[in-house]
Amino acid sequence: MAEIIVALVIVLPWLGALVVWLARNKHPRLQHTLAVLFSVLTAIASLALFMFASSEAVEIQLPLGKAFGVLTFVPDGLAVSLTAIAAVIGSLAVIFSVDYMHGEAQLGRYYFLVLFFIGAMTGLVLSGNLLFTFFFWEITALCSYGLISFYNDDSKAVAGGIKALIITQVGGVGLLAGTLVAFVELGSFQISDVLANAASLPAAALAWMAFSFLVAAAAKSAQFPFHTWLPDAMEAPTPVSALIHAATMVNAGIYLLARFYPAFEAVPGWTMSVLLVGLISALIAAVSALIATDLKRALAYSTVSQLGYMVYAIGAGGVLASQFHLLSHAVFKALLFLAAGSVIHSVGTRDMRRMGGLGRQMPFVRNVFIVGALALAGVPILNGFWSKELILEIGLEHSPLWAYGVMLFGAGLTAFYTFRMVWLVFFGKERDRLNVHRAGSAMRVALGILAGGTFVTWLFFGGLNNLLASTLPFHELEHESLLELVTAILSAPATWLALLVVGLGAGISWVRARGYRLFGGDWLSPLVETSFGFDSLNRFIVQGTYKVAEQFSRTQTGELNWNILGIISALLVVLVVLWLGA
Amino acid sequence: MTLTPLDIVLFGIIALLGVGFYGLLITRNLIKIVMVLQILIKAVLLALVLAGKLSGNLGLGQSTAATVIVADTIVAVVGLALAVQVRRRLGTLDVPKISSMRG
Amino acid sequence: MESIQYAVFLLGAIFCAYRAIVAKRILSATIYLACISALVSATLYLLGAAQVAVMELSVGAGLVTVLLVYAVSVVGDDAMDPASVIPKPLAFGVVGLVAVLLGWMAFPALRTTAAIGSFDLASSLWQTRVLDVWIQIALIFSGVMGVLGLLSEKVPGAKEEVEQ
Repeated sequence: MAEIIVALVIVLPWLGALVVWLARNKHPRLQHTLAVLFSVLTAIASLALFMFASSEAVEIQLPLGKAFGVLTFVPDGLAVSLTAIAAVIGSLAVIFSVDYMHGEAQLGRYYFLVLFFIGAMTGLVLSGNLLFTFFFWEITALCSYGLISFYNDDSKAVAGGIKALIITQVGGVGLLAGTLVAFVELGSFQISDVLANAASLPAAALAWMAFSFLVAAAAKSAQFPFHTWLPDAMEAPTPVSALIHAATMVNAGIYLLARFYPAFEAVPGWTMSVLLVGLISALIAAVSALIATDLKRALAYSTVSQLGYMVYAIGAGGVLASQFHLLSHAVFKALLFLAAGSVIHSVGTRDMRRMGGLGRQMPFVRNVFIVGALALAGVPILNGFWSKELILEIGLEHSPLWAYGVMLFGAGLTAFYTFRMVWLVFFGKERDRLNVHRAGSAMRVALGILAGGTFVTWLFFGGLNNLLASTLPFHELEHESLLELVTAILSAPATWLALLVVGLGAGISWVRARGYRLFGGDWLSPLVETSFGFDSLNRFIVQGTYKVAEQFSRTQTGELNWNILGIISALLVVLVVLWLGA
Repeated sequence: MTLTPLDIVLFGIIALLGVGFYGLLITRNLIKIVMVLQILIKAVLLALVLAGKLSGNLGLGQSTAATVIVADTIVAVVGLALAVQVRRRLGTLDVPKISSMRG
Repeated sequence: MESIQYAVFLLGAIFCAYRAIVAKRILSATIYLACISALVSATLYLLGAAQVAVMELSVGAGLVTVLLVYAVSVVGDDAMDPASVIPKPLAFGVVGLVAVLLGWMAFPALRTTAAIGSFDLASSLWQTRVLDVWIQIALIFSGVMGVLGLLSEKVPGAKEEVEQ
């Protein structure tokens, strides 16, 4: 039974993608309906998978030859929770798209890519075979590129898409390198084999694997030093930003780190590097979000920052905390993006300097946005509070004190920029004459469900904990119930300290953000424009790739005889390699 | 070092392969290229039967060789039909000229 | 004795192959190709594969020759012999290296002793490798369709002339 559901969760969205594409752009209502249908079915299947979660591998027998191993999927707690997040938020994003993409051209291509992505994401987290994880990883990168460049007449969108593609591909190379090291040393691609035998690998090989996976995760999750592609990826249609760049694809890096944590925690310097990567990303992104004037860019920076918190948690040893925050973040960030999407769709601009006072005209969106903002800032009762406090607590126990201090400061910054956003968009007087219309009903449904989610998802902590602890044999997790969590957090002094900082941040923001000019904006903004100098690193990578590609295209002379010479030379190389290897 | 008959066959196969590759590199005529492919296939047939004989399973070697003959005949037929069409439309069978012609 | 037969046939085949490549006219090359077919077929018979030898003879020396003659008749036999695109020493060098390496590596494999298995072509073809037979049928079918499609296409220039 488990095999059927696992197969459904991956195949249903792919089937839906094909069907929607075949329905042709002449029937947009049919396409919308089919897309919603398939994504909701996938969501139901993913929730059903919770009943079958176990650490036993589900084997789908496809004869692939000895070189590739068996197609196994492991529906353990980590995989099943991420699958549910991907499928449920995916379906909500598709429902939202019915209104957002109303009247847009080329819906078939859009829905195809979105559904294809959802299937690939579920396959990525469920896969028990490293080679197939890589395979699904690349599919998600492809869909992300296709969706960022969806408006392919817009050169900014295309440039953003290519930048995202190239940088995440650098990460993909890291993943492949680690996979091949595992195969060479252990002879198997199975993840369970890697986790079981990690201690027996030679130290150099294990370190190589650990750091290449870190590179892959950092590139995919837009962490330092690969963090510049995410803000530029905001050219994508907003439901795509909500789904891919907030709730699912960027979590793939976190998933990778969480999955392989028991294998790599013994590698000297690895946990510290992970911690630092998370810390620096959280800090830089929070500062950048303070200055951003584009609503989606601010949210993108906020995503990078929150992912930094999750990475920091993993570095400090709190895999459970990171997954809990992942769940909360997926819900409230998707909510924020979709609400921002409603605003952008109705006023036609992304520039916050032109917005203002929209709360009066769009009350529903204002309310849900405020709910999301409170969750992001970490205000009690909402899910963000519990998960962020858990991370900070773990940070206090297991990481250096200065690191904890920085993250605490980051929490204050988070509150600051969040309320700045809320104020700039919804309150104050109107700065520009904009034509506002209310959000459509499909949008409201998606937003309402997500807003409800922010109040509720933290209640699943006990269940999540049990699920993870019982189905992940290699991670050492304790069973902790919700009640224990609540009492632990409420009684820890660190929590009250954090709340104080958050309150301070919110207070300052309310006072200062009345004018959008921020103190230090003059010297800080140029730094942020170039992402603290790291944009040049990323630009260098992109330009370098273009130049190398141009050089290589010279070898394609198009003449048959030269091509044949190329083939025979390749044969020669293969023979030489075989001869030397013998 | 004595050369068994099978060694001679092996050298013959490799020599035919070499001549075939050389021909592919040198030829400029499209129909000649189809012919040189035939030479390469004959070397492959010999290799298949030789391998079958060496492993004792001559039946398998022969059946694979039969499949290869069928496949390569189809290749020759389709290749020649393509060559005829190329000649009709582009007016020449010279491979370098065909490669740089546009439209 | 056997070795000499092999040597004669194979040397003949190599010689014919070389002549076929450097021939100026395609018809001459066709005749040389037919000779290669005959010699290779004889070698196959000596190796013990009698049925394949017959197939090779009839297809190589028969069918392919007829096809080439037909193609040449349609296309016209321009006796061209321009210089090759790739410099000859380079071609020699690369091919020579490949041949030497292949020979060096394949040579020891001939010293292994053979296991006794099944000899029969018929049982091998019709029982063990039935899939191959189906694939061959599909191949022939698609090849015939392809050729018919290719040869029945009209050249666009001719069509326009007729309309004007």
